[in-house]
Amino acid sequence: MTKRRTWTYFLPYGLWLALFVIAPVALIIYQSFFDLGHHFTLSNYSTYFQSATYLKMTANSVWYAFLITLFTGLISYPTAYFIHQLKHRQFWLLLVILPTWINILLKAYAFIGIFSQAGLANQFLTFIGIGPQQILFTNASFIFVATYIQIPFMILPIYNALDDLNPAFINASRDLGASNWQTFRHVIFPLTLPGVKAGIQAVFIPSLSLFMLTRLIGGNKVITLGTAIEEHFLTTMNWGMGSTIGVILIVAMIVVMLLTGDQKREGGTPR
Amino acid sequence: MTQPIITLRNVTKRYGTHTILKNINLTLESGKFYTLLGPSGCGKTTILRAIAGFMTISEGDVLFAGKRINEVPANKRNVNTVFQDYALFPHMTVAENVAFGLTLKKVAKDEIAQRVAKALQLVQLADYGDRAISALSGGQQQRIAIARAIVMEPKVLLLDEPLSALDAKLRRQMQYELRDLQQRLGITFLFVTHDQEEALAMSDEIFVMNQGEVLQSGSPVDIYDEPINHFVADFIGESNILPAKMIADFQVAFGGHQFECADAGIPDNEPVEVVIRPEDLTLTTRDQAKLTVTIDTQLFRGDYYEIAATDNLGNAWLIHSVNPAEDGETIGITFRPQDLHVMRFGEKEAEFDARLETYEELEGDNVDET
Amino acid sequence: MKRRFANIYLIIVFAILYAPIIFLIAYSFSQGDTMTNFHGFTWRHYQTLFSDTRMLAIVANTLLIALLSALIATLIGTLGALSITRTTKRVTRESLLTLNNVLMVSPDVIIGASFLIFFTMLKIPLGFSTVLMSHIAFEIPIVVLMVLPRLREMSASLLDAAQDLGATTRQLLTHVIIPFISPGIFAGFFMALTYSLDDFAVTFFVTGNGFSTLSVEIYSRARQGINLEINALSGVMFLFSLLLVGGYYWIQQASQKRRQRKREVVS
Repeated sequence: MTKRRTWTYFLPYGLWLALFVIAPVALIIYQSFFDLGHHFTLSNYSTYFQSATYLKMTANSVWYAFLITLFTGLISYPTAYFIHQLKHRQFWLLLVILPTWINILLKAYAFIGIFSQAGLANQFLTFIGIGPQQILFTNASFIFVATYIQIPFMILPIYNALDDLNPAFINASRDLGASNWQTFRHVIFPLTLPGVKAGIQAVFIPSLSLFMLTRLIGGNKVITLGTAIEEHFLTTMNWGMGSTIGVILIVAMIVVMLLTGDQKREGGTPR
Repeated sequence: MTQPIITLRNVTKRYGTHTILKNINLTLESGKFYTLLGPSGCGKTTILRAIAGFMTISEGDVLFAGKRINEVPANKRNVNTVFQDYALFPHMTVAENVAFGLTLKKVAKDEIAQRVAKALQLVQLADYGDRAISALSGGQQQRIAIARAIVMEPKVLLLDEPLSALDAKLRRQMQYELRDLQQRLGITFLFVTHDQEEALAMSDEIFVMNQGEVLQSGSPVDIYDEPINHFVADFIGESNILPAKMIADFQVAFGGHQFECADAGIPDNEPVEVVIRPEDLTLTTRDQAKLTVTIDTQLFRGDYYEIAATDNLGNAWLIHSVNPAEDGETIGITFRPQDLHVMRFGEKEAEFDARLETYEELEGDNVDET
Repeated sequence: MKRRFANIYLIIVFAILYAPIIFLIAYSFSQGDTMTNFHGFTWRHYQTLFSDTRMLAIVANTLLIALLSALIATLIGTLGALSITRTTKRVTRESLLTLNNVLMVSPDVIIGASFLIFFTMLKIPLGFSTVLMSHIAFEIPIVVLMVLPRLREMSASLLDAAQDLGATTRQLLTHVIIPFISPGIFAGFFMALTYSLDDFAVTFFVTGNGFSTLSVEIYSRARQGINLEINALSGVMFLFSLLLVGGYYWIQQASQKRRQRKREVVS
């Protein structure tokens, strides 16, 4: 292929990289240095780091994302593990994926109904004698719904890791005298850790930014980084501050990626 | 007579309607090198898995030192396995891999260190303890897999085609080392392979398998010289297999002639097959020949010529000769009576052994006289 | 015993996974106006939905955006994947891949906010065009990621063989490369389609006032409370998803079988 032809092929993709990947990231960083009056300033950052509200909001957001990721992981690992042992596992896996095809807002909307004053959840609580509670617009309901939405995204990478695991490793472990639990602890879990890490990546970062859930389910009681950004951009029109929080979110994202990135030096299974 | 260490009694394994093992009976004694030999899919690895405990058998018993162990899980059996793809844990170092089983058993730390060092030394990788598995070559991984198994001091070591991933030269070297290791440790090795050369070179006893059955068992020499049927003859070594007819005891006819042979106990005029190994055929002049053949092609194999020829009845012949022949030449071949081996159709191993016994005694008498 | 525990666990997880969806659809047939007590069967909410011209226009918009953006993204993404595999320097390839993945891992709000800044700076009015561009933008990387593995599977000797048999560069592309990577292209198009249909946050940022997609519409209606017309919409969309999943599954199975058959022929 001639050099020029190659370039024409690359052009649309290259333009996309420049305009929609590099430029927006650069712009959000650039914007974070401007205040409401369009003056270049560091005040957004100084406000952020000096304001107890912002710092507390960030800490809260990280804490909630951590809880969501933790619960998702605790539920998803056994699910992936058990599905992997099933006979028609491809089919069951498809059933895990199917809910992700339902628009996330519809699922959130369903929970508005389920958690409402006279909803299914409260009917159940009344039935077992606890009596109706305020469920909607609480932190717990936000965590519950977020976990619900994220579960498939955690199950998939863990399942794939289990599927990639050479069954000979399990046999070898049993052969060397390991019980089921020992085999799990020393062989299966460490070797499927990359799947767990991929799951954490897929769950933790979006959990920092789920603003529609905080609005619909959390009733604005939970403010995540995502909610704050949305509010600054679309409600208070303080794009500078919104961008600053965006930069914080990007930094958080990079930190998570570095913490959960696959360590190449461990070797892994040779291809 | 020593107590057999492993016995399989009427072992059958089915998956749905598919039978993978058909009524297997075999006995392994302490301290010997056994080989399960057969084409892929013949069930040899399934036998290994049954002994290791990785699967449950449908019928029959697996005995370990006389005790039935069908229900004993793999982690409680005193056998260890060297896996085909080694199955070394990639998240552990070499030493951690070798120490894995001992750590689980809660053996004292310094004893573990000592035994791991000894095992690594035994496979000549004493200095490799700290390395990552991915940093090892195929041959080194192979040795670590062996070290990881023998450090557990099993009574029986199961080896599932452990050399198949190595190149030819390394494979030959490992054959010597494995044989040597088995003799030094004095434990039973059960080695699975589809490579007949490997089996012949290393084993005390070979079980030849096909389609879920053990067709023949015996020493490499017995199996090579006296294959029980067409399959075994063809699978092990190169051979000329010809349709023939038993005329009488020690007389067999094929290729339009009648020859003296070393087999007996077969009803007269029964159709049989005759095996002659290519290296037992000697080229000669036509007047001294037992048969005459026309040379088709020949290949130089280094230490011999492999000659393809056809006799006047259209049978193809394979001859190994130190000297070359000429393409298109009609030439004589000759052989000794004991180079012929007669095989009956559908004869089972027990019948074969019984028949052999009847006339080998006779033969023995003959030998005494000469 | 252990098996029993596993089965019970799975039953509970799947029950939780599907309960909200079933709940949602069940109430789309309820005669009441709330999602509390089932008041008997009716098609009423579906009738309302299908006579709601505003909603129907939004559905049409959503589908148009999804199809158009997925098509364009597939084209650009495939060209991108081709250029990435053609790079000879490892460093270049790695950096291209990293850049490619930026939009994959970025949170939706960041993408939405940064695109909003971008469009505003260029003074592009918010509406159909900005939504379309944004969708194309965040769909391209997934197409690249779906096509790349197929390109990697394609051995160099295959290309050499085709060239050896006299194929020109153009023939190489149209007769060898494109057919070989077509399962990846299909999968990429499909994923792009679902990404577009599923997106809420990015669209929400760049949509402006006049233009709306389903997600945005559901969001604004859901904020106003329960409206069983949305339940009816869920029923329709669930059916649509089932068809899409079924179609995707079928294509995958078919291509797998075809590949298997090819392999049998080869061996």
